[in-house]
Amino acid sequence: MRRMDNRGDFIQRLGLDVSINILNLLDDPSDLVRACAVSRSWSQFVIENSLCKQLCLKLFPELSSVTHVIEVDNLIEPVKVCAGGSPVWERLKRDNRVYAFFARGLTPLIKKDCIIEPISASSTDNYPDESIRNTLEPLDKIGFIASYWSSKGESDPNIPEILTYKLVAQLCVVTEIQVQPFQAYFQYGFPIYSSKAVRFRLGYSRHPLELDNVIREDMLIHHRWSDDDFIWMYTSPEFPVAQENELQKFKLPEAVLCVGGILQVELLGRVQKQEMDGLYYICVSHVQVVGRPLSSPFDIDMLDSSGKCTLKYNPKTQCCQSSTQLPEGEADTPSRLRALTSRLLQLLGNGPVGNNELDEEPPVL
Amino acid sequence: AIQSSRFSCVGFPLAYIFLACKKKSMALKLKSSDNKIFEVEELVAVQSETIKSLVEDGCANNVIPLPNVDSKTLELVLDWCKNHVDVKLDEEKLKEYEDKFIEVDLAVLYDLLMAANYLNIKDLLNRASQKVADMLKGKKPEQIRETFNIVNDFSPEEEEEIRKENLWAFEE
Repeated sequence: MRRMDNRGDFIQRLGLDVSINILNLLDDPSDLVRACAVSRSWSQFVIENSLCKQLCLKLFPELSSVTHVIEVDNLIEPVKVCAGGSPVWERLKRDNRVYAFFARGLTPLIKKDCIIEPISASSTDNYPDESIRNTLEPLDKIGFIASYWSSKGESDPNIPEILTYKLVAQLCVVTEIQVQPFQAYFQYGFPIYSSKAVRFRLGYSRHPLELDNVIREDMLIHHRWSDDDFIWMYTSPEFPVAQENELQKFKLPEAVLCVGGILQVELLGRVQKQEMDGLYYICVSHVQVVGRPLSSPFDIDMLDSSGKCTLKYNPKTQCCQSSTQLPEGEADTPSRLRALTSRLLQLLGNGPVGNNELDEEPPVL
Repeated sequence: AIQSSRFSCVGFPLAYIFLACKKKSMALKLKSSDNKIFEVEELVAVQSETIKSLVEDGCANNVIPLPNVDSKTLELVLDWCKNHVDVKLDEEKLKEYEDKFIEVDLAVLYDLLMAANYLNIKDLLNRASQKVADMLKGKKPEQIRETFNIVNDFSPEEEEEIRKENLWAFEE
């Protein structure tokens, strides 16, 4: 055996407490993951002591309420226990991977605009003037045009309405949802068409939701969707809604991990009749979702309709998105851009490089 | 009532003298693992929580043996403690001192960490731990192995798997 010189493996020399103390000082999840690749004993040390989880919860304390989704429900990177493998160890390894991925992939700042687009409304009185699309706009009028969604009128005040949205990422930690009822400032008496209460569901679509524009429009016009299309993994308690024209904040009792990126806002009960036709309406001027989505190029792949998913990292996606001007089909453009950029940086850093080298395509990960 | 007030009159100055003596404090004697005796002011030595509790329990009258710390390390540790007694010390100067203090080779750094852990000196433990953590930050696994003299016992396939599973952590 090689004699140790004065240096050495601190995890072996300094013992558990001091070593944990040292590794807990790393605040970049990449550093912890690279530490796992140093040696078997380092990997084991990081995984056994849940250091990635500790870092993730230090960065995002609200995640402490969603750990069961990862560790118990086995939904993310589901562990398949194969014969001979240790299930406990496999799970620890998985947890390590998921927490490191979250620590790095979730947006560092809490975002207020986690909705990317509407999917459907249970009814729309006048399409497209009163489309659910308008609820993404914070203001209740743009220029001289009122901006809100309106349900159809009902004589029964108990009939609910449902707004369904797609979130910016397929995986998002949601902490709060905000809804602003609409005040019809152009009607006599300025009635506010709020609902009595509101309830939220988070879940995923049974089928891949890669809709082209025609289908998307069709869903918005004809409300062609059924509850069977979505699977809800979380239903919030009911929150009372004030009949006030203000952005009302509904903080979920604890942060929720939305796997699949679909939000449903259930508007329960009607309070305001329209004088003209004597029917009850619900109108909403704005909905926003507060949370921490995964940021590109971090993403997930839904595996099947059971809600299980795997983690996905695709740096090319980011390149493509940042250069949306480029026509499709030029899939290799980003890598060429990237190669060129790195060459240019090399040129700046290391002096001249032969011209012919610029034409070379280095392999891209 | 009269009695008790008389007691307190007598009691107060006595306690005062006692505390004053204690505050002045005679030197404590510390013995390193290689049997060197260090005479240190109590205020310096009680930076170590371990020694502090010995003093508080009245176990510090004779030489305090420190079988886990050698004289070379103890000398360094006591130097750190001396410089941290006066909390009113200029912050900038203190930082300058700490930065210079911690510029030691890895073997000494390890000894300091072990001693700081054993003697329970929080600020020294944190500063030395930070120094090691800084040696890991932004480094590739190969560089970490080189720094800490660690043998790579992964098979190439295993190494590739770790890299593939966490591609984001290995990008330049």
